[in-house]
Amino acid sequence: MSMGNRPTASRVPLIMRIRKAWLLTTGFVVAAGLSGCAGSPTFLNPASSISDHEAGLYMVIFYLALGVFIIVEALLAYALIRFRKRDDDTEEPRQVYGNMRLEVIWTAIPVLLVLTLFALTVSTANAVAAPKPADSDVRIHVIGHQWWWEFEYTDYGFTTANELHIPVGANVQIDLDSVDVIHSFWVPQLAGKTDAIPGHTNYLWLTAGTAGTYHGQCVEFCGVNHANMRIKAVAESEADFKAWVQGQQQPLYQPQTPQEQAGQDYIVNQICSNCHTLGEYEGKRSIGPNLTHLMSRSVFAGATYDLNEANLRSWLQDAQAMKPGNDMIVNLSSEDIDNLMAYLTQLK
Amino acid sequence: MTTQAEALSAPQAAAGSGQGLLSWVMTVDHKRIGIMYLITATAFFVAGGILALLMRTQLAQPNATVLSNAAYNEIFTMHGTTMIFLAIMPLGAGFGNYFVPLMIGARDMAFPKLNALSYWLYLFGGLFLFSSFVFGGAPDAGWFAYAPLTEKLYSINHGMDYWGLSVLMLGTATTIGSINFVVTTIQMRAPGMSFTRMPMFVWMTFVTSVIAIFALPSLTTATLLLLLDRLVGTHFYNVSAGGSALLWQHLFWFFGHPEVYIMILPAMGLISEVIPVFSRKPLFGFMTVVYSGIAIGILGFTVWAHHMFATGMAIGALLFFSANSFIIGVPTGVKIFSWLATMWGGKLSFKTPLLFAIGFVALFTIGGLDGVHMAVLPVDWQITDTYYVVSHIHYVLFGGAIFGLFSAMFYWFPKMSGRQLSETLGKWQFWLMFAGMNLTFFPMHMLGLLGMPRRIYTYADGLGWGIWNLIETVGAYLVALGILFFLINFFRTMASPPTNEADPWDAFTLEWKASSPPAPYNFAEIPSVRSRRPLWDEKYPDKADWKQGE
Repeated sequence: MSMGNRPTASRVPLIMRIRKAWLLTTGFVVAAGLSGCAGSPTFLNPASSISDHEAGLYMVIFYLALGVFIIVEALLAYALIRFRKRDDDTEEPRQVYGNMRLEVIWTAIPVLLVLTLFALTVSTANAVAAPKPADSDVRIHVIGHQWWWEFEYTDYGFTTANELHIPVGANVQIDLDSVDVIHSFWVPQLAGKTDAIPGHTNYLWLTAGTAGTYHGQCVEFCGVNHANMRIKAVAESEADFKAWVQGQQQPLYQPQTPQEQAGQDYIVNQICSNCHTLGEYEGKRSIGPNLTHLMSRSVFAGATYDLNEANLRSWLQDAQAMKPGNDMIVNLSSEDIDNLMAYLTQLK
Repeated sequence: MTTQAEALSAPQAAAGSGQGLLSWVMTVDHKRIGIMYLITATAFFVAGGILALLMRTQLAQPNATVLSNAAYNEIFTMHGTTMIFLAIMPLGAGFGNYFVPLMIGARDMAFPKLNALSYWLYLFGGLFLFSSFVFGGAPDAGWFAYAPLTEKLYSINHGMDYWGLSVLMLGTATTIGSINFVVTTIQMRAPGMSFTRMPMFVWMTFVTSVIAIFALPSLTTATLLLLLDRLVGTHFYNVSAGGSALLWQHLFWFFGHPEVYIMILPAMGLISEVIPVFSRKPLFGFMTVVYSGIAIGILGFTVWAHHMFATGMAIGALLFFSANSFIIGVPTGVKIFSWLATMWGGKLSFKTPLLFAIGFVALFTIGGLDGVHMAVLPVDWQITDTYYVVSHIHYVLFGGAIFGLFSAMFYWFPKMSGRQLSETLGKWQFWLMFAGMNLTFFPMHMLGLLGMPRRIYTYADGLGWGIWNLIETVGAYLVALGILFFLINFFRTMASPPTNEADPWDAFTLEWKASSPPAPYNFAEIPSVRSRRPLWDEKYPDKADWKQGE
């Protein structure tokens, strides 16, 4: 795969180049002042060229709007102070019905403002619009489910869930789908949002500029656990990404002890595989996340919980208590849970 | 035409004029229907507000457990549906019912019985919707009810059936009411009241009604298709059977965006009555305000897909809707300048009606500027479906529509009841609401920018969202306290003896010529009109508007 196929300078609108210095000073102050902590998933602290464009344009609009706001509210405040009625004043003011010249002027000024904004909108929209599929270095099929995200790395032949890995600097193309209702995929620091619509594949692309872990989540209301349909996006160096891909391509871990065997048997032969896929044991329907390399992930349950042994055990004991209304409605004996834990925790 | 309408409406208006509960049930008097609209809508407004407080309580802290996810989703759905269909729209309709005939010098609406029908459909539509809380679960898919989430497969309980049937009843009520307003405005104006001399509130109610007549069929169609899917088993929105997941959104927003103007234009009309009276000047650039209202009405039908910028439309279509959304900002801005210019050079007396009208101008400006952000595609892709949008709609619908409606409530209360609401309590209410709404809704801008989606019942710690949410919750309780002041004011005032002052504000328009409250027939003699301010002409004959060659 060819890396570093970044958008060229000619695709970057002039205003965006002016904006660069601007954003780093004022914009970042706004963003930092807003968050008060570095942990917020805000596009004003962008980690990709797309969010960078969007943040730059936002700051332009913000300052224009701020200017209009100050003018209007200042005129209002002035009028309220200057033209208040004195107690002893009984005379009526001069009756003014209108002023055609003024009315034309205050129609024309907003027209000019919105024309300017529209021009900026067109140039930036073109700069961040989806490229042809041939331009992509990595292609990921993202599928929205009630209430988790499935990531299918079609080029590499594996499927994972909730934790998205992308290499820094690569053009990543995302084909976006849903199997049930409408969801919306959004990792603010990487790109604007795009809806995942059943029967209607959408495309977006993103290029992470900075390595890091980014919070995202579903932003189209999709049912009872809409709030618990989150994304952990990991942008990493090409070497780290390759290592991660190789890990995901490893064959399914085979049981080494009778207890692990019992755990695998339970998954394959009992209700788990009604929804979950495990290595070559295809689930009947892709309803739940692929378990093959479960423990390679750091989050689960729609990226709502950290994936560790304690949380996983609680989940097996009572998934409904942890995420009320989710589709995993099971009643496992403590022996089944012990067996499952023995096996699942080996699925690195 | 006018004499025919008089002959028809005078005896009908008198028919429901007795005392007692039955007289209210049987009434076809536009004033009584207006009062019933206002009281019912205020009750629903309080109910919707309580739902909002529940939401704010849950969201005050990360990972809170005040409400379950299922309960929260029902509550935010019912909050939106209630405020839009059962509070703001009918409050506008209530004032319209009461004051449009009075302001145009008529004795009633054109179709008094249809008027009663539209009220009762509204009342029972609303009660039916709320009964879902008791009978098997409230709707829980948001006020815009996106399919396929609202299909039977994903919304198993009957909540969405209640929602759909209720929306059909309310839509029918609004359509009937709108036709009534249009016909009344065209046919029943007093002699001399040409279209260009109609009060601005009448103008805006007229424009609103025309918008409603053209917008509602789209909602009705969408809802019927949804109910057919749910109850009969058709597949209009069922993707796996060849239906479309996007059809609902186009049909809904073709109604839904004009709907925003259906809510805000009457309030713009209201403050266009209040600001001149309390500035002691005519509305500046009257016809420009009229034309901008008409422009908003027409353009409102060309921007619906700006609610759908993230659905993956082709860039050409996106830019078309983006351009229209920018253009619609222009006539809105024009109105703001007209209100400012009306106050400019005037003599402002800061009574409660004016305070709320000023609040409208100050707050709606913020909502309007937020709206411009939404038209900027690349910015919208970041802020849509976040709390930024929640902030925007509340600056428009709470800072705008609700403040305008309270302005009218204080302005017209003496006319409707013969009693004046307490200015002291009114000012307390205004400042509590003004401070509270800014505390509640301004930080939502920050939350949107910080990546908080709307419609989530909980959020994780450590994302920087907690502090803003806490501030918002405090603000929401301040707003609630303000509303409490209004209710106290209302009941205290109603318990006091009436003064029956006909024209306490020294106002300009015909409704103040009638007694307070007006007789069932409104005017013993139908007034004749020579300008936009007939009462000003009468009180200040040497400075009469018609002498100025308006």
